[in-house]
Amino acid sequence: MGIALERTLPAISEEAAFVAELQRGSEEAFAYLLATQQGPVFNLVSHIVTDEADAPDVLQDVFIKVFKGIRQFHGESSLKTWIYRIAVHEASNHRRSWLRRRAREAFSMDDAEAEPRFLAAEAQAGPESPYQVLEQAERQQIVKRALAGLAQPYRTVVVLREIEGLAYDEIAQVLGVAEGTVKSRLLRGRELLRRKLASCLGRTHV
Amino acid sequence: MFESCVEIRSHFSDYLDGLCPPEVVRSIRFHLTFCEPCHEELETWEALQADLRALPRRRVPPELALRLRVELSQRLHRNVLMRLWVHVENALRPLLLPASGGVLAAVTCFFLFMGATVTRTSGAPDVPLQLVTPPRVDQLAPMDFNTGEKPVVLVTRISAHGRAMGYRVLSGQNSPELIQRLDRMIYFSIFQPATMFGRPTDGQVVLSLRRITVRG
Repeated sequence: MGIALERTLPAISEEAAFVAELQRGSEEAFAYLLATQQGPVFNLVSHIVTDEADAPDVLQDVFIKVFKGIRQFHGESSLKTWIYRIAVHEASNHRRSWLRRRAREAFSMDDAEAEPRFLAAEAQAGPESPYQVLEQAERQQIVKRALAGLAQPYRTVVVLREIEGLAYDEIAQVLGVAEGTVKSRLLRGRELLRRKLASCLGRTHV
Repeated sequence: MFESCVEIRSHFSDYLDGLCPPEVVRSIRFHLTFCEPCHEELETWEALQADLRALPRRRVPPELALRLRVELSQRLHRNVLMRLWVHVENALRPLLLPASGGVLAAVTCFFLFMGATVTRTSGAPDVPLQLVTPPRVDQLAPMDFNTGEKPVVLVTRISAHGRAMGYRVLSGQNSPELIQRLDRMIYFSIFQPATMFGRPTDGQVVLSLRRITVRG
């Protein structure tokens, strides 16, 4: 559940050599890039796109863009930041086109999938009781929905900060905005999310 | 420092990220000691952060990871030559291990077999083979003349048959009588011809002759 990755990109001192390998078209370098970055990018785009089922297509588009654009990468930012910028851009475009096709669903706490999740929770109950597992799953589902209901600028900042663990300056580079903007969007996003969850879960549980 | 709860709550986001200056942190902590509503609200901020960080991370399905690798690999090998090379490499790669093992086994067997069968023909060290040898004096005819204090130095040409073909006096006495005696001495001396690659050939030998007779 943590944000730490098992494998990460090379340190900054080694990154230039790694980027040079990518720019030369080394298959091993691209395989390593995929192995280290596809997980975080997939998680990021899953939180930004409206329908999680679209995340695989967006992920594929992101890495094709990375592949095509790696020769234009000159190291102004870190490779990770550059990939995240492409991912946020692709996911936002995808979300916009999705919204054009379909009216946005209203935020609702009714959960049609509660029964199957309850059965799954019973099946995989560990030291915690199935009810505790179910409660946690429900809670995560509510948080996820509340996050999905946030306006995109706020949601992207909250995801990059709280879920991907990026620093303010990295978020500013990914989004191409000032650090002050990141700060204000994060404050606003957290505040909206907190209020939304307070009304759903009750103040003492949030 | 802060005049109202609204003002202090506007710093909660930065406070959570540890980005507040020390004096603001001190003020917030002081305010929280006596303001229960602000304390409760900060707890909701912290709970929200914990909830967000506890969200399960979506893992890339294995089939999607494979699809991505294949897609990128195909794009990397769009070039016809590169694609051909990949096909050849893919065809040869399964043979690489058996072939290497076979060659290694063959080399090992060869050396084991050769080491067991080859016998040493001689225990003695080899005679060094000189490709070019100079002519040598085998037996010098007796000298029946005195040379005095200075030796007579001759350059004698020896044929491939070991016969002296002529000579030239480089230094020493040069009298007609001495030349006559030298002619006789050289004629009756026996020489080993020079050799080249084991075959006799013409050559030259330098002789330094000196004979002093002391009367007692």
